[in-house]
Amino acid sequence: MADKTATADPFEMWRDWVANSERQWNSFLNNAMATDEFSQAMGRMMDVYLNMQKNMNEVMGRYLQVINVPTRNDVMAIGERLSQIEDRLNQIEGALARMSVPSASGTAAPRATAVPRPPRTKKPAKA
Amino acid sequence: MTASASEVSVEERVRQQVERTIQRSIKGLEYISTGDPAVGLTPKDVIYSRGTLKLYHYHPQSDEVYRVPVLLVMSLVSKPYILDLTPGQSLVEFLLKQGFDVFMIDWGIPRPEDSKLKLEDYVLDFIPDCAERVLRDSGEDEVSIVGYCMGGQLSTMYAALHPDGPVKNLACFTTPVDADGMTLFRQWTDKRYFDVDRVVDTLGNVPPELLYASFDMLKPAARVAKNVQLWDNLWNDEFVKSYRMFDRWAADQIPFPGECFRQVTKDFMWDNKFAKNELLLAGRRVDLGNVRIPFIHIVAEHDHIVPYEAARPLVQLVGSEDKKEVMLKGGHVSLVAGGNAIYRLWPQLESWLGERSV
Repeated sequence: MADKTATADPFEMWRDWVANSERQWNSFLNNAMATDEFSQAMGRMMDVYLNMQKNMNEVMGRYLQVINVPTRNDVMAIGERLSQIEDRLNQIEGALARMSVPSASGTAAPRATAVPRPPRTKKPAKA
Repeated sequence: MTASASEVSVEERVRQQVERTIQRSIKGLEYISTGDPAVGLTPKDVIYSRGTLKLYHYHPQSDEVYRVPVLLVMSLVSKPYILDLTPGQSLVEFLLKQGFDVFMIDWGIPRPEDSKLKLEDYVLDFIPDCAERVLRDSGEDEVSIVGYCMGGQLSTMYAALHPDGPVKNLACFTTPVDADGMTLFRQWTDKRYFDVDRVVDTLGNVPPELLYASFDMLKPAARVAKNVQLWDNLWNDEFVKSYRMFDRWAADQIPFPGECFRQVTKDFMWDNKFAKNELLLAGRRVDLGNVRIPFIHIVAEHDHIVPYEAARPLVQLVGSEDKKEVMLKGGHVSLVAGGNAIYRLWPQLESWLGERSV
């Protein structure tokens, strides 16, 4: 009896209650969300959101065109072209690096950074 | 004697609660007035960048390193600093101290024009490109790959499509392969109600808020319970620091490239092609049986994002002779970071990878 008094902690009981409540609520809500009705409702909400977004994009695009400012699509097109240029530069860089790898001395290609490189000799510790 | 002990105990408890209440008020003000803790601090260099992609090389922290370098591949939906939270709670730092030469792919934050990126771009272009850079930088001809969550999917696809490639070992953490096991996500993306074409055609990249909300809905009561837990532990600096780092990461979602989302929804969620070995990337079938390198899949017992049913078939599907699955206590995030990972996942990875990295 005395031991029970010593270990009974109202705060610990409260923490247990919070943890149990969380589990129960999660389980209850997960069950509710795993239904067709919920997915259907989510689909409808998504439809409304997408319609709003589409209308806003169109209105904003027309407005920007009127005031002679590049639209989002214009900026994206420039971004795409820059990415293509970057990709081509990477391909050229890669091809050049591949050509230079098998050097006469048989050593590895120059490293990208000057950080000290420890020898690659480590072995796993025996159990 | 017993009565006296319990009286002291009650007195002690009351004193402790009063102290904690005062501390909560002081630390609560601190919590509101200070910024998020710094993350991803392990010294590194960017050795390659391409678009938003960055390839990091972490500075070695041991006198000698294993021969085979390690390349970490993150998921497309979250930032990679979960693997490098803070000194003492960083998988990257742990691996460096154990003698691994560590590289990491950071996909960056997709820009609007990246909405056209597909799985093919990641699996057949970006990962091979980065692997080649790692080989060139390290002077080796083999690399071990470690993939977390969707990063594990991408890495496995890469290994399956490059059976003669440079990958020596493949380690996946909590990687989904069977969409049948992802009950809620599958229900929410039911093709009768979820028009993925319209979502991608209208939005381009899928906004991070949408992803954050869907992850949150997997445990809808957790946010309230976490706040209660935070208030209860507000006196505890270590708890608050850890809470803030995890909370920051969880809320720090990034947009999902639109075309990739379309592919994942149709091929993975709807048709479950990954588990059926029917996934086609640029006309090439991803047959997991072609993965014949040493393979380990580490899964979390209480993972609510990738339930065990979704992760279980992976180890059976890969064709490796040297393969195993390890189930550890913890959830999707606590598996890889935080106090428990230090004693559970990290040593497992170190011992498995160490003996295969010479």
